[in-house]
Amino acid sequence: MILNTLVSFAVVAVLWFVALWAFNVKPFIGKNPFDVYKFMFEVPAASENRDMVMTALGQTMIDASIGFVVGMFLATLISLLFSLSKGIEQALMPIAMLLRSVPLIAMAPIIILIFGREQMSVAVMGAIVVLFPALVNIVFGLRSAPPAMFDLVNVYGGNKLDALRTVAFPSSLPSFFAALKISVPGAITGALLVEWLATGQGIGYAIVSAIGRARPSEVWTYVALITIVSIVLYNIVALLEDSVLAKYGHAARK
Amino acid sequence: MLKSLKKIAVAAIAIAALTLSGCAPAAETEETKSFGDLSVQLSWIKNSEFAGEFFADANGYYTEAGFGSVNLVAGPAATEAEVLNGNVLVGIANPISVAPVILNEGAQLKIIGTTYQKNPFTILSLKDGANIATIQDLIGKKIGVQAGPNETLFDALLKANGIDASKVTKVPVQYDPAPLVNGEVDGFLAYVTNESFTVAQQGYEVTNLLFADNGLPFVTESFVVTQDSIDNNREALKAFLKATIRGWKDAIANPNEGARLALEVYGKDLGLSKDKEEYQSKTQNEILVQTDETRANGLFTISDAMIALNLATLKAAGYVITADQLFDMSLLKEVYEENPELK
Repeated sequence: MILNTLVSFAVVAVLWFVALWAFNVKPFIGKNPFDVYKFMFEVPAASENRDMVMTALGQTMIDASIGFVVGMFLATLISLLFSLSKGIEQALMPIAMLLRSVPLIAMAPIIILIFGREQMSVAVMGAIVVLFPALVNIVFGLRSAPPAMFDLVNVYGGNKLDALRTVAFPSSLPSFFAALKISVPGAITGALLVEWLATGQGIGYAIVSAIGRARPSEVWTYVALITIVSIVLYNIVALLEDSVLAKYGHAARK
Repeated sequence: MLKSLKKIAVAAIAIAALTLSGCAPAAETEETKSFGDLSVQLSWIKNSEFAGEFFADANGYYTEAGFGSVNLVAGPAATEAEVLNGNVLVGIANPISVAPVILNEGAQLKIIGTTYQKNPFTILSLKDGANIATIQDLIGKKIGVQAGPNETLFDALLKANGIDASKVTKVPVQYDPAPLVNGEVDGFLAYVTNESFTVAQQGYEVTNLLFADNGLPFVTESFVVTQDSIDNNREALKAFLKATIRGWKDAIANPNEGARLALEVYGKDLGLSKDKEEYQSKTQNEILVQTDETRANGLFTISDAMIALNLATLKAAGYVITADQLFDMSLLKEVYEENPELK
């Protein structure tokens, strides 16, 4: 797993250098990983720079966690509802799909007007980004057990809740973790978006601001940092996934 | 490799076009200089703030000066970065936003002239709302500031007045002052000649906290270029200045036509208001573009005293920079020496 992470970093770094070279980006605009290192550790203002980017990163992590928790909670709740009642699923799933296809960026102004420019908007926009892909995955997972197993629960006199607990829930774990994994970068994207458009804090805004003020080293540092954090978090979830799935006997399916 | 492919493609298309049209290109007369196409990064949306540039384009002054097609790029944008990256020849900015890029990033940028002799920046608020009348009123308020160069201005306002930035909440907004009217923000960074009038026109009583009255007198709508252009493309910059001066002379002579160009031609998709454009076009000529100094020395002039004032403002905002690092007025001087009729 650590190897995976290192490989991801290496690929990103190589792509970074290659892109700067291939597109012939001027050195003032295009900074490479060494420039970012200098910005963080070598220039006279390095310690202020570190404080600044770390404050922004901390804010983004808070915003992303809010979206992640709210989105995953709702996705789990709704998919449980769906699996208890086919009727609800058939009525609401198309609406969920429809909402998914409305671009968040177009909805942002109205969300900001309704929920303001503070934590409420962060939660709403983060949840929208996380909710729908997670929902689709979890609903699929809950249905993935063979029908014969549900029949078995029925024969023994179990009700729908028993079937959910003993059959659907364990068999949905791989899909649940797939949902968690795609939701990590999703939540970060949502946080960056809401910071840019609504709150004016965190990396999402700091990048736009630093571009506008012609501070390229700062821009690249933010981009590098959020990419690193995204990769690390993704791999942590993957690690968690391996150990939980092994416990429930799913490991062979990987 | 790609570049040569591109050249071959362009050549092929050109040959094809010539063959089809059956004529040879007209030989260029020796007098006409050609500087290629002109791109200018404006500091704001295309309203009458840029009346002079609109005239210079519409009346063909840029073409006469030797430019091909003219692309006036609407802002707000990362003006300094656009200039440094060579996407535009000239950017319209101000000394407060340019100086930090020179000092912190080591960028080779210079200001070679300025349209506004004073700056109309204000923190706009509603009289019935936050009513921000003094600098201390800013504390604890939410202020809408456009991302980018305007943030540097806002930071400078706080710094020059000794206000801790953590005591004021900066909120991202775009050019539209609607967030102020609908109560999302308490104050809004604006032009007293533009948004302030727009909001007042909607029937609200407004309060303005002018930057110029609160420790930040500086010029704005200044032409920023790279040192590289000054060294290697000097004639093009002078041609730009000359054509733009002609455009602004027209704008001063006919402010309503300048407003019309914004309203019906350059900014026709923006839903601008006729009253506001005419007001802005007229007012800026009277109080911002023309002063006793420009009447004596020509438009776009920045006198030594004015440069000193700007440097002092920058110092108060925490940026210590010399005149030679930030300004190069030699091009404008040459333009007026070579074209005394422009004065």
